[in-house]
Amino acid sequence: MVRLITHNLLACHAKGCTTNNFPLVFKDVQLEIRESEMNPEFLRNFYPKLEWDALVKTAEQLGDTSLPKTQPPIESVDEEFLKALHHVLLEIHVEEGAMTCPNCEHRYGIVSGIPNMLLAEHEVA
Amino acid sequence: MTLPCLIQFAQVHEQFRLPELRSIAELNGIQLDIPEEVDVKRPFMIINLSSEDDAKILAARCILIKNVLELWGHGESYEVLHGRNKENMPLWQRYATDTTFKFLVTAYNHSIHKARQKSIMETFDYMAWEGRIDLASPEVTLLCTEEYRDRGNSHTRAKHEGEGSFRQVYFGRLLAEGTARDLIQKFDVKQRAYYGNTSMESEISLLMANQALSAPGRLIYDPFVGTGSTLYTCAQFGSYVCGSDIDGRQMRGKGGVWLLQLSERRLMGLDVTPGIMRSAAQYGVASLILDLFTFDVTRHPWRSGGIFDAIITDPPYGVRAGAKRLGKKDKAVINDKPPKPGNADAPAHLRPNYIPPTKPYELSELAVDLVALSVHLLKPGGRLVFFLPTVNEAYQDVDIPLHPHMKLVSNSLQDFGNWGRRLVTMEKLSGPATTDPAIATTIHVPAHKDFREKYFSGFRHAMNLKDPNMMNERR
Repeated sequence: MVRLITHNLLACHAKGCTTNNFPLVFKDVQLEIRESEMNPEFLRNFYPKLEWDALVKTAEQLGDTSLPKTQPPIESVDEEFLKALHHVLLEIHVEEGAMTCPNCEHRYGIVSGIPNMLLAEHEVA
Repeated sequence: MTLPCLIQFAQVHEQFRLPELRSIAELNGIQLDIPEEVDVKRPFMIINLSSEDDAKILAARCILIKNVLELWGHGESYEVLHGRNKENMPLWQRYATDTTFKFLVTAYNHSIHKARQKSIMETFDYMAWEGRIDLASPEVTLLCTEEYRDRGNSHTRAKHEGEGSFRQVYFGRLLAEGTARDLIQKFDVKQRAYYGNTSMESEISLLMANQALSAPGRLIYDPFVGTGSTLYTCAQFGSYVCGSDIDGRQMRGKGGVWLLQLSERRLMGLDVTPGIMRSAAQYGVASLILDLFTFDVTRHPWRSGGIFDAIITDPPYGVRAGAKRLGKKDKAVINDKPPKPGNADAPAHLRPNYIPPTKPYELSELAVDLVALSVHLLKPGGRLVFFLPTVNEAYQDVDIPLHPHMKLVSNSLQDFGNWGRRLVTMEKLSGPATTDPAIATTIHVPAHKDFREKYFSGFRHAMNLKDPNMMNERR
C-alpha cells in the first residue's frame, strides 16, 4: 500500500483546489513489490474507470514502463496484457514517502503504507 | 423442479434471517419461493427450492442457517406427519433399499428423553429401511425435529417437562449443514491479532458482508473503518476492500510508533505493520486489502463517483466513541489562511505530527450524509450496508434517511432493550450516476438524533423526544 489502483482514484481535495489536482505526484518513495493472485474479471470491470495517462505517467515515475502510452481498447486486451496491468495496479506498494498535489503542493505523507489525507484547518471549507 | 425444504435457523438475530437468505439467493441467482406469511420469530421455515445444489449453496454461505432438510412430512402431530410422509413416498423410496443411513431425533426448546427418541424412530418402521446404519459417514441422514414453544425463563423446569406437547414436528433428509457458522469462530474478535474496544463481533460483521453481496472481483469500501472488522469478512468472501478513518491510530494501533522515522523504527526493531494488516495477514486476506487512508469522509479525496460495489460501515455513534469531522466546535474561529512561516520551524500544519482540529459529527446528520455519499460513490445496483442505533420506543420507519436514488432493501433490528441498532441495506437504483452528492432534505427528526445524550440519560424521555419542540423545552 499505497497501490496504483487506489492512487488512480485520488485527487487533491483541499479547499479551492479543483484544477490540475490529479494525479498526485509521488515523492521520496520506498517501494515494495508483493505478488498477488490476479482476478481478470475484476481488472476488466475496472478498466473503463482508469485514468490511463495518469496511470502510465505515475508508473513511469516509479520505474515501471511496461504499459503502453495509449490505452488499448478493452476488446483487444489479452491475458498477457492483464498480467502487466495487474502488476502495475496491484503489486507495487508505496510504503513510505508522500504524494504531493501538482496544483497547491499539499504534501500527503505516507507512513507504513497509510497516507495521511487529512486537511489542515485552513484547507477545509 | 420444486424441492420442498425446511430451513432451520440458528436461534439468534431473528430479524436478520430473511434479509440474509434473500441476499445470498440474489448473489447466486437462486430462485426463492418464500411463503407470504413467515413468522420470523420461529427458527423453522418451509420453503420451495429448485434443487439440492441451491440448498447447499445457501447453507455454505448464510451465517444464520443451521441446516436444510428435504421436507418429507410435518404437522402438529405424528399422525399428520406420517400421513404426509406416506404421500411423499416417491421422494424417499429410492433411498430405502440399500443406502447407508443415520436417524436423528432432535428438538428445539426441549430435550427429548432417550427412550422416547427410540420409540419415535420406531414409528417410521413402515418406511422399511433396509440399508446399514452408519453413524460416522452415512449416505443419508434422516432428521426428525420437534418444535416447542418458548416457555420463558420464569420457572425452573424438569428436564423433560412437557414432553410431546410440541407445536410442530418436521421430518426429512438432511441436504446441507450450515458450514458458514464456523466462520464466527474463525473471526472471533478475541483471537484476532489486532482489535479495539469497539470492534464489531464476528457474527455481525459476517452478516454485514453477506448483506453487501461480497464476492470475488467486487470492490467494497468502509468509510469509518476503525479497526477493520468489516474488511476481513468481506475479503473472506473474495472482495477487494479498502477503508478510511479520520483517526489513523485506529487502523495502525500501537500509539505513537508511527510518528518516528522509518529508519528509527527499523533500528529499534519495531513492527511497523499497521494493526489492520496484521489481522488481515492472520486471516490470509492481506492481498485483498487494497488500501487504508486517513481522511475525513466528509472531506474525501475520491476523484469520481460510481466506483464501489458496496459501502459497508458501522459508524461510531457515540456510546464508546463518537464520530468526528474536521472543523472546530460551534463558536471557535477557523483560521482560513495558512499559518505564516514566522520562525525557523515549519508551520504547524506541515509538521509530521500535526493533527487538525475536529468537531463532533452528530449521528442523524452523519446518516443523511452517508446515504448521499453512497449515491455518489456506488455503482448502479451497488449496496449501502450500515448500522444505525435507535431508541426503540421512539423509532419510526421514517427515521431511515431516504434518497430518490436509493431503494431500501432491508432493515433489521438487533435489540438491546431500550435501544437497539438497525442494520440498514439499501441499493442504488440504475440510471445516470449522480455527480453532485446532493443532500437529501429531511425535516423529520429521527429517534437516533442526539443518540449519545439519550443513551446516557437512560432513554427516560424517549417517547417525548419524538417531538422536537419537547426536546428543546427540556434543554
